[in-house]
Amino acid sequence: MSSLLITVLQFLLVLGCAPFATGMVRWVKARMQGRAGASPLLPYYTLATLFRKEMVISPVTSWVFRVSPFVVLATALVVSAVLPLLSGGGMFAGNGDDFLFFAGILMLGSVFLVLGGLDPGSAFGGMGASREMTIATLIEPAVMVTLTAFAAASGTGSTSGMLAAGGGYLLAHPALLLSVLAFVFVLLAENARYPVDNPATHLELTMVHEAMVLEYSGPYLAMLEFASSIKLAVFAIFLGNLLVPQTLLPVGGGAESLVVAVLGMAAKLTIMMVLLALLESTIPKMRFYRMQEYSAMAFGIALAGLVLTILPNIV
Amino acid sequence: MQWSWTSIGILVSIAGTLSAALLALCGRGLWTHRMVQVVLAMSTATGAVAGVVFLFGNRVPVLFDAVDVLYGLRLVLHPLAAIFFVIVNGIACAAALYAIPYVAAHQRTYHVPMVNSAVAVFVFGMQTVLLASNVIGFMFSWELMSMASFFLVMADRDEASVKAAMLYLVMTHLGAAAILAGFSVLGGGNPLLDFSALATSARSLSSPYILLAFALFFFGFGSKAGLVPLHVWLPEAHPQAPSHVSALMSGVMLKIAVYGFILTAMMLLPGLPPGIGMLVAGVGLVSAVAGSLAAAANRDIKQTLAWSSVENLGLIFCMLGVHMFAASRGMPELAGTAAAAALFHCVVHAIFKSGLFLTAGGIVHAMHTRSLERMGGLAVRMPVLSGAFLVLALGASALPPFGAFFGEWMFLRGLIHAFVGADAGTMAFLLAVFSGFVFASSMAIFAMVKLFAIACVGQPRSAAAAHAQEPPRGLVYPVLLLAVGMIMSGVAAATILRAIGMEYLVRTDRVFAPIVVSGSVLQPAGLAGMVILALVLAFLFRRLWTGDPRERTYPTWDCGQPITAAMEYTATAFSAPIRFFFRPILQNRKIVTTAAVVATNAYVRSHTMTFASRSLWMEYLHLPIARLITWKSTQIRKLQNGTIQFYLILIFLALLVALVIAV
Repeated sequence: MSSLLITVLQFLLVLGCAPFATGMVRWVKARMQGRAGASPLLPYYTLATLFRKEMVISPVTSWVFRVSPFVVLATALVVSAVLPLLSGGGMFAGNGDDFLFFAGILMLGSVFLVLGGLDPGSAFGGMGASREMTIATLIEPAVMVTLTAFAAASGTGSTSGMLAAGGGYLLAHPALLLSVLAFVFVLLAENARYPVDNPATHLELTMVHEAMVLEYSGPYLAMLEFASSIKLAVFAIFLGNLLVPQTLLPVGGGAESLVVAVLGMAAKLTIMMVLLALLESTIPKMRFYRMQEYSAMAFGIALAGLVLTILPNIV
Repeated sequence: MQWSWTSIGILVSIAGTLSAALLALCGRGLWTHRMVQVVLAMSTATGAVAGVVFLFGNRVPVLFDAVDVLYGLRLVLHPLAAIFFVIVNGIACAAALYAIPYVAAHQRTYHVPMVNSAVAVFVFGMQTVLLASNVIGFMFSWELMSMASFFLVMADRDEASVKAAMLYLVMTHLGAAAILAGFSVLGGGNPLLDFSALATSARSLSSPYILLAFALFFFGFGSKAGLVPLHVWLPEAHPQAPSHVSALMSGVMLKIAVYGFILTAMMLLPGLPPGIGMLVAGVGLVSAVAGSLAAAANRDIKQTLAWSSVENLGLIFCMLGVHMFAASRGMPELAGTAAAAALFHCVVHAIFKSGLFLTAGGIVHAMHTRSLERMGGLAVRMPVLSGAFLVLALGASALPPFGAFFGEWMFLRGLIHAFVGADAGTMAFLLAVFSGFVFASSMAIFAMVKLFAIACVGQPRSAAAAHAQEPPRGLVYPVLLLAVGMIMSGVAAATILRAIGMEYLVRTDRVFAPIVVSGSVLQPAGLAGMVILALVLAFLFRRLWTGDPRERTYPTWDCGQPITAAMEYTATAFSAPIRFFFRPILQNRKIVTTAAVVATNAYVRSHTMTFASRSLWMEYLHLPIARLITWKSTQIRKLQNGTIQFYLILIFLALLVALVIAV
């Protein structure tokens, strides 16, 4: 398969299964709480409905409000095409899938989300925006340091190259397990999950992400929700790939390895979502004004992972 | 000397700038003012073009004949100076175009001939600093630059401006004295040498003298560049100047300090120990962190930008420190990458910081206040300027696909590559640099988002903001020009790298070539194209699903009650989490006073709150030193007791001491 075809296939698959990821977490959480829960496929209906709905737009808003959903969705699309999710041999492998670019493009999405949240001029949006920006700023060093550990272990900055340091290689570099843990911290913070944010609340003082998108409705809201689903799916699959890179589609692989890769991706996504739901059902949300502890912990773990990974090189 | 288009262009630009300075004094009318700015814009444009031609040409230093002023001053343009020459002239050209409507609109505030003349002298000083090849010429131009900018800081003759200008004057002269002393140490006491003789004489110095000279240079250029703890003047002085001068001071003058530091510490001084590189990088990191935190918490549009300059200059000095460290440790790959990143960041910072100051000037022109708390909703009212503002703010946040991202990417890539195989000490140092650098650049994003968001989106927080309109076109076009420059600095990053002499990091000769650092490849134009393609896809995606969306306008929801701007988040509120998390650094003074409204009822009270940030550096470092000096001076003043006999004894003693020293 040509690398272009692989990338297009991965892009479509990730977009296709992203709403399922969100629905899956909600369903498992509901089951854990003893509720029947809505079908994991509900987000598809929700998105389709939202896309058809009329938009209500505040007269206060400017062009920033209308640009934001497009940029946020565009950053999610870029990430889903560029990262090695289905295969390490896509068209961006080693050329554009640099982890610093990944971190930067995620930040670009967060920035526009924040701007869109502030534009209607409500206190809810302002609070969510201020908090989101703080979280994004404080967690950014941890993102960098975590991925740097993989970059140092694999000797390359490209995320597809980093997968070579995952899998069985994790046992050879046990310190990278710390980096994987730090990556989990990052995943929770970047995707507005417990213990950083509560994705289930509306109109409570605990919320961050939901407060920012409060004024959005109709297609714009659908785009923002879809973007956050994509981001969650991408993070989950990437974490799965760091742990189990064996199922990835090898360069020049045939039809059977393609089936393995697609099934592997779906399995990783499902398992990660179940684990996420388990985690969210067992831990409480953290007070926002303790976020510095969370991000300092993430940074400390990531730094320990990095130091211990490169230590064998110097002793 | 050989006449070439480059040398003619350089001479024309200097002569044009100088004639603009003289022309400005010829009349008070607006006609003269426009003429001056046109002459200045043309001369600086010529200089910028000459510099670019030089950089893309064969880079053989352009030598002019020695002139019989300032001890045989000989103007030379060498490749390093040419980079900064392009920055100075390019930004000065945009600032001159901007000044045409800006100064005219503020002719009641400013003394127009004085401001115009001082700006031209300021630009002239910066041009000649770069061309000077001897100590006297360098110091003379340096002082022209400093004195002209001193007068410009207090151009509006406001009390706060005069105060800031005095602080600036003291700091800049301490710095200039240190630089002159450094040159004297290098030249063995002779301050008349030219730089090549100085380099020769520096090679024969013993190492304590070299370290002394380095310390003096670092103090001098560091105080000009606003490195912590000598930065206290910068957030006071830069915002007080007229906006086009703020742009020149922050975007360009600080780069002259970087140039001076590179010239002295890396080209004149012979091999410095690795510890020096660590010191420079450490001071740079502390500045970057302190500057970014202060910028995040600040509530004044121009002061935020000034603090961001402290941060960016900190980052540049951090890169230079890593370069010096790596060069002295025999790590040529890292040294090359760090130097390339530092020069690249100099160029990019000049573009976005001047652009942002010019934007701030346009906003202040419409708002008549610098306080972010009075702004809001400007994106509706000035869509073009706010669009350019957003591009520049994203560029300043070092987000892809803008230029600053690629500079930081190069530096971080270089660092990560150097981790592997480094010894423990080196690794600890590089890790500390990496962590601090990443932290400061994340915090910079917060500061820039706050700046744009509080000023431009949301509801207007004052009547002035509600009635604001797009500034006159003359104020918007230069900003648009710089915003386009910001986009180009991203997609054509490879071309900038070639211009600064780092061709080896670029893969091919094309304008939009990929950049290669230690085996990692990024294709800036490709990444920008990818982001644009994704935007198009997102748009198509929405169109395919919804066709023409139906819309309804309804006020922002606020639990069913009418919403006012007073309920909105302010700059203070937006940065509250950052102030909370970094309380030990970002201390503030909050005073709440209450008074009973009616004398008979103690419960109905009016509350007043004042909120100001504290400068810990000022309180714990500069003011104690100032108090110590005042106290010592009071002690010494006791000598002046009015007894003539005592004075005679003092004169006699002084004579004796002089004789002892002389013999």
